[in-house]
Amino acid sequence: QDVTLRASHQWPGGKGDVRDEMVQLIGKELEKADVGLALQVFPGESLFKAKDQWGAVTKGQVDITAFPLDYASGRHPAFSATLMPGLVGNHERAARLNDSPFMDAIKAEVDKAGAIVLSDAWLAGGFVSSTQCVTSPDTAKGQVLRAAGPAFEEMLVGAGSSISSMPSSEIYTGMQQNVLTGANTSSGSLISYRIYELAKCLTAPGENALWFMYEPILMSKRSFDRLNEEQQKAVMAAGQAAEDYFAGEAKKLDAELIEVYKKNGVEVVEMSKEDYDAWLQIAKETSYKNFAEKVPNGQKLIDDALAVE
Amino acid sequence: MSPLLAGLVMLVVLLGLLAIGTPIAFSLGLVAMGALYVVYGGFFLETVGEQFFGYLSPFSLVAVPMFILMGAAVASSPAGKDLYEALDRWLNRVPGGLVLSNLGACSIFAALSGSSPATCAAIGKMGIPEMRQRGYPAEIAAGSIAAGGTLGILIPPSVTMIVYGIATETSIGRLFLAGLMPGLMLTIFFMAWTIIACKRRGLGLSELSQRFTMRERFAALPRVLPFLAIIVGVLWVLYGGVATPSEAAGVGALFCLVLVAVVYGVFSKAWKFSSMNVIFRDTLKESVMIMLIIGAADLFAFALSSMFITQTVAQAIADMDVNRWVLMAVINLFLLVAGFFLPPVGVILMTAPILLPIITNAGFDPYWFAVILTINMEIGLITPPVGLNLYVINGIAPDISLAQILRGSLPYVLCMVLGIVVLCVFPEIALFLPNLVMGPGG
Amino acid sequence: MRLFIRVISAISQGLGVLAAALLFSAVLSVSHMVFVRYALGWSTVWQTEYTAYAIVAATFLGAPWVLIVKGHVNVDIVQMAAAPPLRLAMQILAALFSLLFVALLAYAGWVHFEEAWSNGWTSETVWAVPLWMPLLPMPVGTVMLALQYVAEILRLFLDGADPVEPQPVLFSETTEEVRP
Ligand code: NA
Ligand code: NA
Repeated sequence: QDVTLRASHQWPGGKGDVRDEMVQLIGKELEKADVGLALQVFPGESLFKAKDQWGAVTKGQVDITAFPLDYASGRHPAFSATLMPGLVGNHERAARLNDSPFMDAIKAEVDKAGAIVLSDAWLAGGFVSSTQCVTSPDTAKGQVLRAAGPAFEEMLVGAGSSISSMPSSEIYTGMQQNVLTGANTSSGSLISYRIYELAKCLTAPGENALWFMYEPILMSKRSFDRLNEEQQKAVMAAGQAAEDYFAGEAKKLDAELIEVYKKNGVEVVEMSKEDYDAWLQIAKETSYKNFAEKVPNGQKLIDDALAVE
Repeated sequence: MSPLLAGLVMLVVLLGLLAIGTPIAFSLGLVAMGALYVVYGGFFLETVGEQFFGYLSPFSLVAVPMFILMGAAVASSPAGKDLYEALDRWLNRVPGGLVLSNLGACSIFAALSGSSPATCAAIGKMGIPEMRQRGYPAEIAAGSIAAGGTLGILIPPSVTMIVYGIATETSIGRLFLAGLMPGLMLTIFFMAWTIIACKRRGLGLSELSQRFTMRERFAALPRVLPFLAIIVGVLWVLYGGVATPSEAAGVGALFCLVLVAVVYGVFSKAWKFSSMNVIFRDTLKESVMIMLIIGAADLFAFALSSMFITQTVAQAIADMDVNRWVLMAVINLFLLVAGFFLPPVGVILMTAPILLPIITNAGFDPYWFAVILTINMEIGLITPPVGLNLYVINGIAPDISLAQILRGSLPYVLCMVLGIVVLCVFPEIALFLPNLVMGPGG
Repeated sequence: MRLFIRVISAISQGLGVLAAALLFSAVLSVSHMVFVRYALGWSTVWQTEYTAYAIVAATFLGAPWVLIVKGHVNVDIVQMAAAPPLRLAMQILAALFSLLFVALLAYAGWVHFEEAWSNGWTSETVWAVPLWMPLLPMPVGTVMLALQYVAEILRLFLDGADPVEPQPVLFSETTEEVRP
């Protein structure tokens, strides 16, 4: 039977955003498989708002979504671990993390909520500042920063920064009006929100990236169960293709970030191993500790993640 | 059912509901829910609560009630009256001088706020009653404010420009600069039309017959100080590194409440504390009405998108192989019609990513197009059935009928169309400033 | 029936006062945020979220009272042209359609509130406010709005059609103060 699936995500469509490309690729793969499946993609929050996508995909209102899992951490506190400072480090380790007991536990919770993971994707990110480069925790002291998610906010407060909570769409105005001296978010957002127009310094993700966020492609179980076996296989294969595509692109994204910022005359630095370890020390006393207290078996999740080579 | 047919059915049902007098918010909401039932079945109700709540809770929307409150506070005091008396002494040699000062006030306020309904509310709250008291007909009073208020999204800062910049990955700073000169140009067009209309109809003549000495003119200035204090205060909050635009709205509201209570309540006794009650009643009435329309319009946009209607229409335009100016005309027509039914942010989010590649392929500048798009959205703000400024005006002056407001604002709509034409002939009006400040290209 | 109308209207008025208070609290919380960040250099944690929630709560809780004062804007050109019996029919029909939408929204709002309540959901911030708190005004406000619509329909049956002449001073309370 012919089925048209709906896919929703929050990023610009057809502009080369890697998450949009992944979803589009799934659509193309499904078409190629010729099993009576088509995909209608709704980019840029043109169907569901970014955070509403979790409820929509778990209930089967939307079939497929590219979704930053931490957005649902208010409902599933364990998901905070997917935007936890210093838990990932670099892209090679992110790839190994995907098949660890840590991610098995996260995916089990996704499954229980009513969705399945089609493609894994860990996106790196960095810091920008209009005053001084954020490298060691000392350099963040006294800065007013907007962080992506509570775990990062807790760590930054621990380092002596002031936190201003505002939606990501207001980072640009915030920095323009000097309400913020800096922010931390994904490489993609650092480019698409055009923060390079205002930043003096970029801390790029390098070998020691503090910021990683898990942004998988999810499919609703309700929708998946409605498909026949051949279609289900095609969907899983398309998801794998998107995941492979992402693996090839992940590092290019960071390179593009550096290139765009350099081209716009922004100073680009990276964290040293010592900087990274100093941040990790603060994270352990703040965000990790809070996570372990708040989430049942939270300590075990963190230990499992840190145990991965 | 094809998307286009489905869209037509929704349109007809919507018009039917509106015609019998169903409130706009609930008409939009009911049609949206009917369409959602067709698409998803009854189980759309499981997620629609979360969505509706989400539509109303972005922090940027906070600016709407805050700027209404700000306007209500100022309007409850004699500040507006003092301002007009002072402006009157300076502009009394010009036909329609008071309307002109209102338009000027709108464009000043537009530089404070990123939202058109907010601009409309803040100026209209004091401007409309004042104009009518001075003998201007309801049409001109309401129409000029409805149109002047739309400048809020063209003159920076602008919520819709920010949304456009994010959706199309263009520079927000450049977009803001691109909107400034066209915004001033429209202000001049509006003013020119006002002078012509008032002269022809013999309006504002009471102002002409009076003569003021320079001494009298300067003597009126101190009474404008509270109003200037508000503008300077909000400008300082906004551009002095104190707060973002949404936050500035809240600070401005508190600032106005305190200033009005202290200056007029304590020093001049012209204001009573019981006015607080009135300020909040009016603010609540207007902002509840606007917020529910915003929520319902978002739900309507969600239904249209679910049925792939907006996308189908946009794609149909993209598939046409025609002269670039015919293409631009068709796109303008499409944006105009979309603006009738959808709030600006909805139109931009759904169409800009599809339209922008078409535009750039045809050799148009994306920043220039942002200005064209914004002016189209401005027109949409003062056309039914979804024209947020119309409802703001209706809230401020409920005894002025929608038909009267429309009659009054139609000439200003034509001014905006003229503005689009002028921008097509002279794109430099939009592009000169960004190129000057940020270097050519982009 | 008159008693029902009176009781419902009184509750709606009470919620209206609460909504105005929430609106004022939103003004204070934004200003507080800007002050502590700008003057004292503190972190701001809860204010952005609280402000947005307070505005949403004011919207839903204020909606029934706004209906009483006829604040939900509609297009009244056709009603004005209609003869009184036809106008009554249109007003009742419009109220029934509105009631249908509001009731569906009330149900949806309840579903969402109930989920958040029974699953212990919080917001995704450091503040981590239990979501049922900001979500409660939605079902409460919409249920009251629905009841207020029932009251309005009863009133239309009892008293006949409302006049659609321009409502003289509905929204001009402010301006009336200035210009007696
Ligand atoms: Na503006
Ligand atoms: Na419109």
